[in-house]
Amino acid sequence: MAAPIRQSLFGVAKGRWRFEGLWAGSLGSRSLALAAAPSISGSPWRLLGAVCLQRPPLVSKPLTPLQEEMAALLQQIEVERSLYSDHELRALDEAQQLAKKKADLYDEEGDEQNVLLTQDMEDAWEQKFLQFKPGARITEADKKNDRTSLHRKLDRNLVLLVKEKLGDQDVWMLPQAEWQPGETLRGTAERTLATLSENNLEAKFLGNAPCGHYKFKFPQAMRTESSLGAKIFFFKALLVTGDFSQPRKKGQRVWVCKEELGDYLRPKYLAQVRRFLLDL
Amino acid sequence: MMNGALGKMLCLKNDIIFKQAFSLLRVRTSGENPISSAGGILLSTSRHYKTRPIHGIGRYKHLVKPKEPKKKRAKVEVRPINLGADYEYGVLNIHLTAYNMAVVESYAQYAHNLCNHLSIKVEKSYSMPTKTMEVLRLQDQGSKMLPDSVLTTHERVVQISGLSATFAEIFLEIIQSNLPEGVRLSVKEHTEEDFKGRFKTQPELEELLAKLN
Repeated sequence: MAAPIRQSLFGVAKGRWRFEGLWAGSLGSRSLALAAAPSISGSPWRLLGAVCLQRPPLVSKPLTPLQEEMAALLQQIEVERSLYSDHELRALDEAQQLAKKKADLYDEEGDEQNVLLTQDMEDAWEQKFLQFKPGARITEADKKNDRTSLHRKLDRNLVLLVKEKLGDQDVWMLPQAEWQPGETLRGTAERTLATLSENNLEAKFLGNAPCGHYKFKFPQAMRTESSLGAKIFFFKALLVTGDFSQPRKKGQRVWVCKEELGDYLRPKYLAQVRRFLLDL
Repeated sequence: MMNGALGKMLCLKNDIIFKQAFSLLRVRTSGENPISSAGGILLSTSRHYKTRPIHGIGRYKHLVKPKEPKKKRAKVEVRPINLGADYEYGVLNIHLTAYNMAVVESYAQYAHNLCNHLSIKVEKSYSMPTKTMEVLRLQDQGSKMLPDSVLTTHERVVQISGLSATFAEIFLEIIQSNLPEGVRLSVKEHTEEDFKGRFKTQPELEELLAKLN
């Protein structure tokens, strides 16, 4: 009889302790939340949102020799298997009529059936074609290898890189900004674009999810209790229109394709960035 | 002595069994005659297969799921499914338009194959009717319009569903970067108007409806 009572008391006591424990925990967390509003509660990592702004290719890539041969072969097969089009039928009819006229030496129908002969039309089209000049594939910027302009490498994706000061070193990286609580990481990326100096870039973010991340720890000198390092989340955006209005300083911004990234970025950073860059 | 007793017991047992069997048979024969005379569905005495162990050996209809008869105009109005943090799009239409039919058809094929490969469900893949445009050029000397060319616009639609938000980004980028020359891409959500736009206008039906209202 004594034993069960003791057990029940014990049980009650335990329950109460747990309850009090929960209470204390919740109160504690609330106070922590109040105190930690400006910074992330507990985590020693700083969060940064970066934007990987890509200029999509404007021109298709030139065909490889194999593709050229195949294309020529398929075109030939198609032409040989095709039927005559309206234009070609008309040309054949007119050729026949002309032959008949010459043979008979008198007009059967009086005037010609149509004012414009197919031969005349073809000549006119030929003239127009000669007047048309397609744009150059290899632009001036390519020849000069001017990496700050958007007009080079029209058949590749170009990514924007920015030079920034980290501590006492100049580092090339994708444009980034610090995350502020209350905003989504994608919002951070959009803010980065807006705050990049003097530009009227219009970008389209395809989704809300980041496409890659990079984590690094600060060097020993800079480490404090609350900041051990930083985590950068990359967001992909496609450039719709716009460009930097003035080259502010040379060597600050660069539009770079995938192979040239290696010239600028640090190896580990580069390895992470390369993982999500799609190059077709 | 013992053997005899045992034998007797066995015989008795056999008798009991036979008696039971006989009683069963009697029940069967007595019960069946009126039913068979009435022309019922029950078996006649000549069929014994229900007692054989292989009875019902070829039965499979109970294992096959019953097919629902397909409704003629099945509406697929799936609202975007929100799974908490992970969002999934409802039904999306990928419209590919171009002047060159061969290119657009082959790209629609490529998009379809890509979806199959990435295990995205393709609801259907259809084409919208072609639109013909005649381009008239103003004559150099004079105000007469001369026919310059005839352009046909072809449109192919690939309808997909069940695209997760995280993957949609990558998928869109793949499709965009692989677009051939002259093909325009547009990805939209499927709406009632899209569905109804495929039907031909029925003037008689519209007249009747107008009369009713």
